[in-house]
Amino acid sequence: MGQNKLRLQIITPQRPVLDKRVDFVALPACNGEMGVLPGHIQYVAKLNYGVLRYKDGAQEGTFAVMGGLAEIEHNNVSVFAEDAALEDEIDIEEERQKLVKAKAALSAHDSDIDMELAEMEIKKALLLLKVKSKHPKL
Amino acid sequence: MQSLRDIRREIKAIGATRQIMLTMKRISSARIRKAQKQMEQGRPFAQKMALMIDNMRRDIENETSPVRQLPDYKFFDASASGCKNAGLLLITADKGLCGAFNAMAIRETLKWIKRNDSVEKYIFVVGKKGRDFLARLKIPRLHIAGEIVGIFPRASYAHASMIFETIRRLTYDNKVCKVDLIYNNFKSMSSQALVSKTFLPFNFEEIPGEEDLSDFIFEPDMLQIFLTLLPRYIGANIYRFLLESQAAELAARMNAMEAAAENAGGIMAGLGVQLNKVRQETITNELTEIISGANALEA
Repeated sequence: MGQNKLRLQIITPQRPVLDKRVDFVALPACNGEMGVLPGHIQYVAKLNYGVLRYKDGAQEGTFAVMGGLAEIEHNNVSVFAEDAALEDEIDIEEERQKLVKAKAALSAHDSDIDMELAEMEIKKALLLLKVKSKHPKL
Repeated sequence: MQSLRDIRREIKAIGATRQIMLTMKRISSARIRKAQKQMEQGRPFAQKMALMIDNMRRDIENETSPVRQLPDYKFFDASASGCKNAGLLLITADKGLCGAFNAMAIRETLKWIKRNDSVEKYIFVVGKKGRDFLARLKIPRLHIAGEIVGIFPRASYAHASMIFETIRRLTYDNKVCKVDLIYNNFKSMSSQALVSKTFLPFNFEEIPGEEDLSDFIFEPDMLQIFLTLLPRYIGANIYRFLLESQAAELAARMNAMEAAAENAGGIMAGLGVQLNKVRQETITNELTEIISGANALEA
């Protein structure tokens, strides 16, 4: 635990998801993946729907993050995403079901609100499935 | 005069109702803890978004800033002229049985409508109670800009961002440039406070912040970051209003149900006394008849 570690925080509107000291973070920035090591310059980046990976010694972690912003400031990496899920916590079967349900809701043409919710649900489920199936390694 | 059977039936019915009230109270108090936790967990995001917006304040307030060219700049431009229309975000509950919770918000809405009598009015309403009320109104120049019902007690950030997108569209179309807000704030388990204030455009003084973001590099650029940040900032705010109202509704219901159950208990006690009185009277009557009958035989 020294100055040479990053403090990675992932915060969503619903709850803080992660607060951890790590060695390396890869962010899904809007212009491509962006690696962050300790001592990075002050930076604010827009994030895509994508995969966030971090490395802490031998330990690795993968998150699916749903858009948002990342702020890098004095070895603090704060990620503000609409939603985030730890790869290991993603349940493929559940996401598939959600996807099917959301698609059904979309074709049912209920109300604008339901449609928008369904679209968001689909986008999220697709991302989570993608993250889970690819299982990217650092 | 009521018969014994009638009174017994009434006591039983009130007892059953009282049981329902107590159950509703218990459900509310269990949910309220969850709602409070949800509020707490949403706070870090909202605070950070406020800080970041504040960091960009200089860029926003600078008169040559490209941000000023964006339609979203209207959310900061308190001096905006040109559009006189009024917007309102009204948050009520989906269900009743929570005291004056909905009535207060609706009364305030009526005042708001009166205040904005002469202009076009756009209301975004959350909650069945508010929606049903507005649907019954026949007032000229009143438009329902959008409605969300049935989200409590599971209000989520997705709902908040949808509300904002609707407001944003109204603003882009120049239909509104000022949005007021009416909702119930959760003060404590035992009290709620109705809030009626201007929500947009922002008052910068209300945003806390001290950091300085001038040395940051933006990717892809400042404008894009601003455009990403703004909906999240406002969304986080709306999300908080939803959660406040959600917790306040549960607290109001808890208190209302407790008072109602207490009241039902009082009525039951009164009926119990009446029951005994009627029973005793019947017995006395019967005794009198038997005794007078026996006396008649003896004589």
